[in-house]
Amino acid sequence: MARVMAPSRLVSRGAETQSANGRWLVFAVGLAIAFFLFAALPSAAKNAALFTEESLLYAALLFFAGASVLYIGFGVSGAELDARFATAATSVAFVLTSLAAAHRWQTSGHPPFSSIYEMLLSFVWTLAALTLFVEWRYRVRVLGTIALPLATLSVLLMQLMPSSVRPLVPALQSTWLHIHVSLAMLAYAACALSFGLAMMYLIQDRLRTETFLAATCGLLAAIDAGIATRFDPSGGLRVVAWDSVNRQEIFFAEKTRLLVVIPSLGWLMFLVLASALVPLSLYVWAVWNKEENALAWANRTFFVSTLLQAAALGIFLMRAGEGSYLSPQTEGLFSTSLAASPFILTGLVSGLFASILYLLLQWRRPNLERMLPSAETLDRLTYKTISIAFPLLTLMIAAGAYWANRTWGSYWSWDPKETWALITWIVYAGYLHMRITRGWRGRRAAYFAILGFAIVLFTFFGVTYLLPGLHAYA
Amino acid sequence: MPLASFFPRSRSTRWLFSVRTGIVLLISAGLASTAGTLVLQRPQTDPQKIASAYSPEVLAWLDLLGLTDVFHSWWFAALLVLLSLNLVLASLERFPVAWSFFRQPYRRPEKHFRASLPLQQEIAIPGVDAGLHAAQSALRQMGFRPRRIEREDGASLFAERNRFSRLAAYVVHASLLLIFGGAVVDAIWGYRGFLALTENEQTSRIELRESEYKALPFAIRCDGAGQENYPDGTPRRWWSNLTVIENGREVQRKEIAVNEPLVYSGLRFFQSGYGQTGEVSAIELRVALKSDPTHVRDIVLSQNETLSLDGKNSVTLAAFYPDFVLINGEPKTRSHEPNNPAIQLEVQSATAGDHPVASKVWLFPNYPVLAHPDGSPFTFEFRDLRMGYFTALQVSYEPGQWAVWAGIILMGIGLAAAFYFKHVRVWAVPVKDTQGRMVLWVGASASKDRNEFKDRFERFVRKIEDNLNAQAEARMAWFREASPTKPATEGLIGAEVGQRVRA
Repeated sequence: MARVMAPSRLVSRGAETQSANGRWLVFAVGLAIAFFLFAALPSAAKNAALFTEESLLYAALLFFAGASVLYIGFGVSGAELDARFATAATSVAFVLTSLAAAHRWQTSGHPPFSSIYEMLLSFVWTLAALTLFVEWRYRVRVLGTIALPLATLSVLLMQLMPSSVRPLVPALQSTWLHIHVSLAMLAYAACALSFGLAMMYLIQDRLRTETFLAATCGLLAAIDAGIATRFDPSGGLRVVAWDSVNRQEIFFAEKTRLLVVIPSLGWLMFLVLASALVPLSLYVWAVWNKEENALAWANRTFFVSTLLQAAALGIFLMRAGEGSYLSPQTEGLFSTSLAASPFILTGLVSGLFASILYLLLQWRRPNLERMLPSAETLDRLTYKTISIAFPLLTLMIAAGAYWANRTWGSYWSWDPKETWALITWIVYAGYLHMRITRGWRGRRAAYFAILGFAIVLFTFFGVTYLLPGLHAYA
Repeated sequence: MPLASFFPRSRSTRWLFSVRTGIVLLISAGLASTAGTLVLQRPQTDPQKIASAYSPEVLAWLDLLGLTDVFHSWWFAALLVLLSLNLVLASLERFPVAWSFFRQPYRRPEKHFRASLPLQQEIAIPGVDAGLHAAQSALRQMGFRPRRIEREDGASLFAERNRFSRLAAYVVHASLLLIFGGAVVDAIWGYRGFLALTENEQTSRIELRESEYKALPFAIRCDGAGQENYPDGTPRRWWSNLTVIENGREVQRKEIAVNEPLVYSGLRFFQSGYGQTGEVSAIELRVALKSDPTHVRDIVLSQNETLSLDGKNSVTLAAFYPDFVLINGEPKTRSHEPNNPAIQLEVQSATAGDHPVASKVWLFPNYPVLAHPDGSPFTFEFRDLRMGYFTALQVSYEPGQWAVWAGIILMGIGLAAAFYFKHVRVWAVPVKDTQGRMVLWVGASASKDRNEFKDRFERFVRKIEDNLNAQAEARMAWFREASPTKPATEGLIGAEVGQRVRA
């Protein structure tokens, strides 16, 4: 690459280098997608499975990943070509996801909303659709830098989940349920977009880069502390055992999962947690003593922490993927799988993703600022997406209540999911009131939008896994 | 202000009117709800689980604070009441302004209003009618329906759109009150209960809570129930045939299924489950005399039923095990499913003496050869069996739900009006500017999205200017036609027309 770039570097480091960079990236991504597609072709052809849901999703995953790389490339270099091809790849991935969803709908006979796997499929579809729509309507192209990696992550997560088409239990056979879930997906995708826009607003509003550093470190510390709760006194990491034949978790007793310990991984997770706390404490030190030098060190240690996270993710992928481990409950050997620990995996991957985004910001902030729409536009767009999300949230809760009323005879029973949907609604209602009646603009509004999305995430994932209730199947 | 007469706004009650209080109350309700999902709630969890999750002292505190049943605690109710009160007061205080916007549109802007409006422009015009005409057609082109306002001090134009969106916020607040009201009605007068019926069973009471019953003014009977499965054996559909009996008369009959309840006088009966009782409802047997195997007869027995076989002998269905297994020599059943049925019959034969002779007969339909030697004079052959089942019904009475649904529909309308429509007003008034020239003052206001609306306003101004220029050109063409030798008129008419004047 250096040799190719040499002549243009002589002339200028301006637009030409950029477009050369862009061309190189498009070429590399195209090559990678083509390679993986062709690599998968023989086995797909052998199994006569060219247009099954699985192979369609595989292809969609490749295009989503390619689009993510191109969007991030666009974020770094600002090369026009990257953005154009990123949009093209997103469109292809969108079509493939639509086909996969349609295929699943056709074979199962019901719209894809009945398990968390199917909901993720719908979520990815909506996210891609909204990203393309916003790009086309408002010409905000950097949105893909956040939305597409999110979509890629979701598709990856889906690969780990039990995907078999399960027949619907009687309570779920209702049109109202489908309305309820499609509204939820639309609303949550709009909330995700408003979150991305609010983050971009904070960049354009000249929120100091160190503040982003502190926030990222805080997020990492929270994630890693969550993972570190699985620490075993022997120094290993406790994960759930996995029955690879039936693709399900192994239960030790009723409602108690069988755990196995992956040796010495616990220490590694503690190390990762510590590595996230170091830049955080350096930041606090720097702010307290007004010392610029400590900030530079905070950034340096953060870079090290990112490398550590990547290593931890790699090791976790390898160790959890294969091998049998001792279970402290039964003293027997059991295998585990990535699918058994979706939270550890999601936590590690999203932590790494957030870190990379921060490094990108720290490295190329002026570039990003030039490419992003103005702060005022972003502020307005955040408000607009929330004013789309809020009525959708309202209707989603109403449709859910109506469905519950037809199925159980009660429209509201304060189960955790319902209550958290209500809390989400309250937060966004608060945002809208503060904005409309008290004229909240800018930073405070952006923080509010970010808080709203954090609560949406908890409602979607946290409640399902931490607070069981009526919504057991979703 | 009429509001003051029934709820005085004094120093001590002022806080109840403010939006800030509303936000604080909303956040408090959110935090309370959060607590309600994090602390185990008594109505949903069984007592043992709660007792094992918290130590007795902690539990005592949680109970005292109502944290183990947040959503039925007095302080949560008080929070909602305060929130409703704030909603009403804050809305009532702001409503008159919005209502006057709605009721009395401001059609003719006065001088002070014209001076302070942020979005305005003055355009030079050749005359009042020409200016108004240009503005009128510009407004029409943009989809407005302008009205000409005639007053003593002259004519002007007024156009507006989506006036109703001024009231949208109040519609949303009213809908919230409707929903709260419905929920309160249901919390006080509504109830939910449970009912399990076996075939042909009839009852007129439902179980509200553990051993707490409520009598219904009518009876309900189950005429049949069943389950349909997917090929892999998971349930696809449950159904029950129900009959409502009031004063001894059958008044309604319906086959219900999940999502298709029976509704009678406000009570709704939902299919919520189906299962085997583990008891047999009927067994069909073929009986033959041992001494004369050609003498055959079919009988149907139910649990504990005794049937006379002939003058001297009778048979009783003494015991039935649907899923037979021997545990420590005792006959037991493993499940309620008839996987391995075992039937015990008792045959009584009258003898010459006082005591009838009873003999026990075991039948294992899955293993017909496993016949026990017995002393009865008959052989029994298993033909068929029907298991008893029950249908589980959920019963609910929610008279307030209609207010809730009406509130939700109203809220949908209100939110759509609030977010997707904005009240837009445009005025055009011919006035004399400071130098005494005739200009058209145009101004506009929008209830939200002011930045985007600014672009539209500028387009509107440009349209008026274009229209004025077109008028001028048309007039010029007419002049040229009328007096082709006098091109000098151009300067007289065209010069100032369509030029913006600095306001």
